[in-house]
Amino acid sequence: MVELELVNLTKKFVGGFRLGPLNLKVNDDQILVIIGPTGSGKTTVLNLISGLLKPDGGSILVDGRDITSVPVERRNIGYTFQNPSLFPHMNVYENIIFGIKKKWKHRNNNDVDINNLLEDLGISYLTHRRIHGLSGGEMQKVSLARMLITKPKIILMDEPLAHLDTATKRKLRIEMRHILRRQSAPTICVTHFEDDVYALADSVCVLQSGIVEYSSKLGSLMMTRQYDSNDKDSTSRLLSNILTSIQGNNYLEGNVIKSLGGITTFKAGSTLLETLGNYNIGSKVGILIRPEDIILSKEIVKTSARNVLRSKVVKITKYDAAIVDVFMVADSFHLTSRITEEARADLQIHQGDEVFAMFKASSPQVVREEEKEEE
Amino acid sequence: MRVRLQGFNIIIIVLSGIALAYVAYPLVTLMVFVEPTMLLHAILRPQLTNAFILSVFSATASTFLLCIFGIPLSYFLARFENFPGKFILRIIVIVPLVLPPLASGALLLGVFGPYSPIVKAFPAVEFTQSVLGIIIAQTYVASPFIILASQAAFESVDESYENIARVLGKTRIETFFRVSLPLAKTGIVVGLILSWVRAIGELGATMMMAYNPHTISIQIFEDNAIGGLRNAVPDIILAIVLSLIAVFVFYITRRRQRQDLLRLRW
Repeated sequence: MVELELVNLTKKFVGGFRLGPLNLKVNDDQILVIIGPTGSGKTTVLNLISGLLKPDGGSILVDGRDITSVPVERRNIGYTFQNPSLFPHMNVYENIIFGIKKKWKHRNNNDVDINNLLEDLGISYLTHRRIHGLSGGEMQKVSLARMLITKPKIILMDEPLAHLDTATKRKLRIEMRHILRRQSAPTICVTHFEDDVYALADSVCVLQSGIVEYSSKLGSLMMTRQYDSNDKDSTSRLLSNILTSIQGNNYLEGNVIKSLGGITTFKAGSTLLETLGNYNIGSKVGILIRPEDIILSKEIVKTSARNVLRSKVVKITKYDAAIVDVFMVADSFHLTSRITEEARADLQIHQGDEVFAMFKASSPQVVREEEKEEE
Repeated sequence: MRVRLQGFNIIIIVLSGIALAYVAYPLVTLMVFVEPTMLLHAILRPQLTNAFILSVFSATASTFLLCIFGIPLSYFLARFENFPGKFILRIIVIVPLVLPPLASGALLLGVFGPYSPIVKAFPAVEFTQSVLGIIIAQTYVASPFIILASQAAFESVDESYENIARVLGKTRIETFFRVSLPLAKTGIVVGLILSWVRAIGELGATMMMAYNPHTISIQIFEDNAIGGLRNAVPDIILAIVLSLIAVFVFYITRRRQRQDLLRLRW
């Protein structure tokens, strides 16, 4: 088991910005997503771990061994930058084999490794293409392949999806977690997109002005409802944004038990839910549902909505003059529905009431899929 | 793009025309002095062919020296962090460019002249009035071209390429040869061509260091002094042919450099 540990790591810059003291621990079964505003020191953390920057104090330990003064090229760290930075004077294949050590270059199984990796990433067709003319998504995958072929002990990723269009970003985000989890290397991913947290993280850490303001497992964060988007404290605002990202603030996880004809049934807690798309049976999916897509009723009614959850109202807050947010607990998870105040009054929904929350199979958006773990 | 003849465009075209005519007209007038049969005879003169061969050789040798010492200096200026005195270094580098060539030659005589410590240390070596003297003078005067062009070329290479190479396990020297140098290549080649052309055309510093043997520039100077312009025309035509070849290579390389810059800008 590989473990990365940062102990009291500090770095001071000429402009006055100071990072740390930073204490973090990441295991090889873990993807840590560091989130924070621009200038909070996220990239500096990665540059310190990779050795591109020298810390002023503290140490970086890999499996208990201090690597703080080990030169960059001997750290065996995989690092992808925000910009894929593929070497423009080499083709895709030359880029990928760039990091393979000379003594390995003539091994027979190199080509097999490369072919397997390219197939895994779905970019076999690019092997002999020139860099010029690749799409953003293709570039990012080639950059990932170039890093993974070196079998790094630690993986660092700086805003890996920042330059991609929305559709590619959504697709690659889910694929990336699969790819990274297969490496069994402690992984740190830096982002300022809240959506990346859902898709990639096992743990989340919020960095503000060089200091870790919050750190927890993703699951614990999802169960929390105490963050307010209007809060003066920027960490609370950031966490609230994660929970209320543009795609919605209802996040559920469940195991796929059936997937047929474009409809997938998964079990969240003890409730069966349906969503569109085909996913692997046994895999764990994470879905987002916009609060506006959840409708409420006081009794079971026959509608076209495929998902019905018996829930208990725990809180009702005003969203604006005409709209309220109804917070509920259903089974083992939290749900929020956004309805008009008029509808709430009509239905006589109050705190402590039992209601039925309904949404169509087309409402959830799958943002994360984890393969079934080997027994 | 179709140019519309109005206002600003007319002013630009007229001024450009005057500038072009100023540069091209002397070339046209030169043709007045050309007599084809005499020209061939004059070009085959041993004095002139020797000067031509010596110029090509010495300019190539000085460009080679600049490759070995100038490129590392330009990388140093482009990539090493700012340190006190870096500004002074940048000024020193352009001194040969701003100094009158005769003054450069005089400075070099101070270092390689008869009573200098270097000459005393190596009494068997002829530093002046020799091919070595010509190469020393040309290298000095042409150095800013390669250093400034290569420095700009290295600066245009995004540092993230070098950082990625280091993270992927390459040492600094491997990174230099496999990433920095190939990516800055076309800019460096432009600098080398400019240096070579400057070395070919060098007169002032070379006259101070080594009037003999004659380079093509000194031959032009001497033929003109002895027999007037008509006498120097064959030398000038040879110099023009050499320069045109260099200009042709220069433009091809510049075109590639522009394409490279577009690629690097991704």
